[in-house]
Amino acid sequence: MSPKKLSLKEKYSLLTRDLEWEYSYRDYKEIFPQEEFEGIKITDWSKWEDPFRLTMDAYWKYQAEKEKKLYAIFDAFAQNNGQLNVADARYVNAVKLFLTGVSPLEYQAYSGFAQVGRQFGGVGARVACQMQSLDELRHVQTQIHAMSHYNKFFDGLSEFNHMHDRVWYLSVPKSFFDDARSAGPFEYMVAIGFSFEYVLTNLLFVPFMSGAAYNGDMATVTFGFSAQSDEARHMTLGLEIIKFLLEQHPDNVPIVQRWINKWFWRGTRVLTLVAMMMDYMLPNRVMSWKEAFEVYFEEAGGALFKDLARYGIEMPVYAETAIAEKEHLSHQAWSIFYNYTHAAAFHTWMPNEREMDWLSEKYPNTFDRYYRARFEHWREMERAGERFYNPTLPMLCQTCQIPMGFTEMDNPTLIAYRQSVFQGERYNFCSDGCKDIFDHEPQKYVQSWLPVHQIFQGNCGGAEMEDVLAGYYRMNLGTDNLDFHGSPDEQRWNHWHNLQTAAEQMKKAS
Amino acid sequence: MYQVTVEPTGDVVEVEEGQSILDASLRQGVWLPFACGHGTCATCKVQVLEGDVEIGNASPFALMDVERDEGKVLACCAIPESDLVIEADIDVDPDFLGYAVEDFEATLTSIEVLSPTIRGLHFALDHPMQFQAGQYINVVLPGIEGARAFSIANKPSDNGVLELHVRRVPEGAGTGYLHDQLRVGDSLQVSGPYGQFFTRKSAPEDLIFIAGGSGLSSPQSMVLDLLEQGDTRNITLLQGARNLAELYHRELFTQLARQHENFTYVPALDAPQPEDNWDGFCGYVHEAAVEHFGGQFAGHKAYLCGPPPMIDAAITALMQGRLFERDIYMERFLTAADGAEGGVKSALFRKI
Repeated sequence: MSPKKLSLKEKYSLLTRDLEWEYSYRDYKEIFPQEEFEGIKITDWSKWEDPFRLTMDAYWKYQAEKEKKLYAIFDAFAQNNGQLNVADARYVNAVKLFLTGVSPLEYQAYSGFAQVGRQFGGVGARVACQMQSLDELRHVQTQIHAMSHYNKFFDGLSEFNHMHDRVWYLSVPKSFFDDARSAGPFEYMVAIGFSFEYVLTNLLFVPFMSGAAYNGDMATVTFGFSAQSDEARHMTLGLEIIKFLLEQHPDNVPIVQRWINKWFWRGTRVLTLVAMMMDYMLPNRVMSWKEAFEVYFEEAGGALFKDLARYGIEMPVYAETAIAEKEHLSHQAWSIFYNYTHAAAFHTWMPNEREMDWLSEKYPNTFDRYYRARFEHWREMERAGERFYNPTLPMLCQTCQIPMGFTEMDNPTLIAYRQSVFQGERYNFCSDGCKDIFDHEPQKYVQSWLPVHQIFQGNCGGAEMEDVLAGYYRMNLGTDNLDFHGSPDEQRWNHWHNLQTAAEQMKKAS
Repeated sequence: MYQVTVEPTGDVVEVEEGQSILDASLRQGVWLPFACGHGTCATCKVQVLEGDVEIGNASPFALMDVERDEGKVLACCAIPESDLVIEADIDVDPDFLGYAVEDFEATLTSIEVLSPTIRGLHFALDHPMQFQAGQYINVVLPGIEGARAFSIANKPSDNGVLELHVRRVPEGAGTGYLHDQLRVGDSLQVSGPYGQFFTRKSAPEDLIFIAGGSGLSSPQSMVLDLLEQGDTRNITLLQGARNLAELYHRELFTQLARQHENFTYVPALDAPQPEDNWDGFCGYVHEAAVEHFGGQFAGHKAYLCGPPPMIDAAITALMQGRLFERDIYMERFLTAADGAEGGVKSALFRKI
């Protein structure tokens, strides 16, 4: 009798999971000390179904070929002076936002998955986390390499890593990941593996990558394809963790629901940066933030939560608020950044007439009614030589760390303020969602490193704005910051294109 | 039209000209792993064992050159150019016996009026059919395009006959023909057995069968088979119908429940007529299951057979009672009218 052919599942099991040790001389709890404290109950790790079956051997082979292809494109992009072919120089500000705000998160994810993977008693979960950890390290490296070419020609990119740990708006994505990594291993998996990688990734990654595609940024697009081939694994891991937790014990359901509520809201706040990027920073628009939110959250997320309902999981508690905010988010965020561009490492600008019309068309319920007049006023001020910069420091939300500029959704002319008092101190929040998160774990969030508080406390380089911006943040003042109009980026761009035109004329003449 | 055989299960999928392997498979109820659906994520990578295939729009980062050389393709964008045999990363159930599909001539021997809408059709086969209780056959009807699928209601040991339960679909061409035109002595071309709906006999858990309408067919075969083999696990059959007239084979199962201590029969009517004098469970069959098991289903294997809304409600009830996808098996009775279900589907579940 010929031996039965092994299925892929059996082969994978023999190659990987059967390498699990038996813990004979140490107590299980001593080896996995973090498995219980969050209240999650795991009764049987053997019920974990490997979300993907990839051996290390095959992993190296695939990733090596991806790298080879990717770097060939980077080289070609550099040799062809790809920076000259982007839609216009304003586009590069989206790249700056990505490199300072998002790429360091990939590094945080690498570290986070390595850390929590160690904490799981189930070998299947450990192997999956290890691979995702390696993927994330590859992503941060390739992103830095993809964007390093722009650093030779544009301002605001060189200190991305230093800035990520210090600059006020970068504390928004940074604190998101810090929050997840300082939680327990299961919360981290629900926060990053599920909420971020599965529910929200299409609203972060896809807009940046399709933005690159629409604006002539070949290097970033190619990086996007290379990374997306890993993302499928990350998404299936996110789904497996959520199913596994919900099926292991009924007591896990309310805990997971609370985490989903929390991380959905934390995630939508981080996506504010993407919303304004899509609606204001791309010279060639892909789709509006509102449209993206409808496709990727309301439709795709709606289908997911319909399925999750079978486990007793409901839509995230502030989903309705987030849906209402899709009409306002990008306009309010861009206003905040326009106010504080002197303290940012990228440029802002007022949309031109054609772009304002696009916004009116995409936001028929809100743009003309609430935002257009303000933007036209700012544009008038700029024309009169009085470009508006807000000289004060804004109050930040204690949870999401975004300046308190969001409005009530039932009254978009009233700024939303929420407060909690904890141990005699008053804390401020931009929304009910952020207040709830604080109220559940106040001891955690009173420790938040809020950039504005830190400046006032004298921890950020000195008392003057210049001490903070130039000294502590390492911004090149007058080049990295301020309006796009009149910036060195803009001057260089015009210069290059005039040169090109002149060269063409000479060619024709000869 | 090409035939694609999916190993290791041996499922056969018919793929139209220009259609992707994944699209055809999912539409024909053969699950393959997938995620993005447009060639960038590689979740649906399969190995081509035989035949020619156009790779389509697979991203060079998702399908590597070395893999292309090895004959791997992404099912979501691969278009067959001949009949194919592919190997996919799907699990073979140890209880699947993999009986070969054969063609049969089936001659109608008797017609049983089971209910106002359901007929029991009994055929004699020209040679015995090996099948697993729960599986189905395809039947070709004269002048009607496309084969129609019906679950086998007789037990596998009666392998020279075929018992089908046919509900008349309003304005349905196939079921209309079987109800109105087919006469005793007529012969039909039948092929089978097909399907992955069968009893997991190696699993030690007690069994729950939930049947709605003519979806009693498969569970009937499965229950009769288990009892004949002297299975000692607890077996519960819940049968749902509109009213008493639609509740067929009730005497058969009431009788079996008397004879077998480990078999329980729970009929449920959701709209009993006053003249029914119904003193059994009033409500939908999934509600009967919740009541019967006190809302706790963990530790069972559940088999669901019937129309899609019943299956859907039963899955929700089972999951709320902590029985999950790995322990739930189902056969959805779709009609041509059910067609495309539409809407966005999440990747959370495989079969559900």
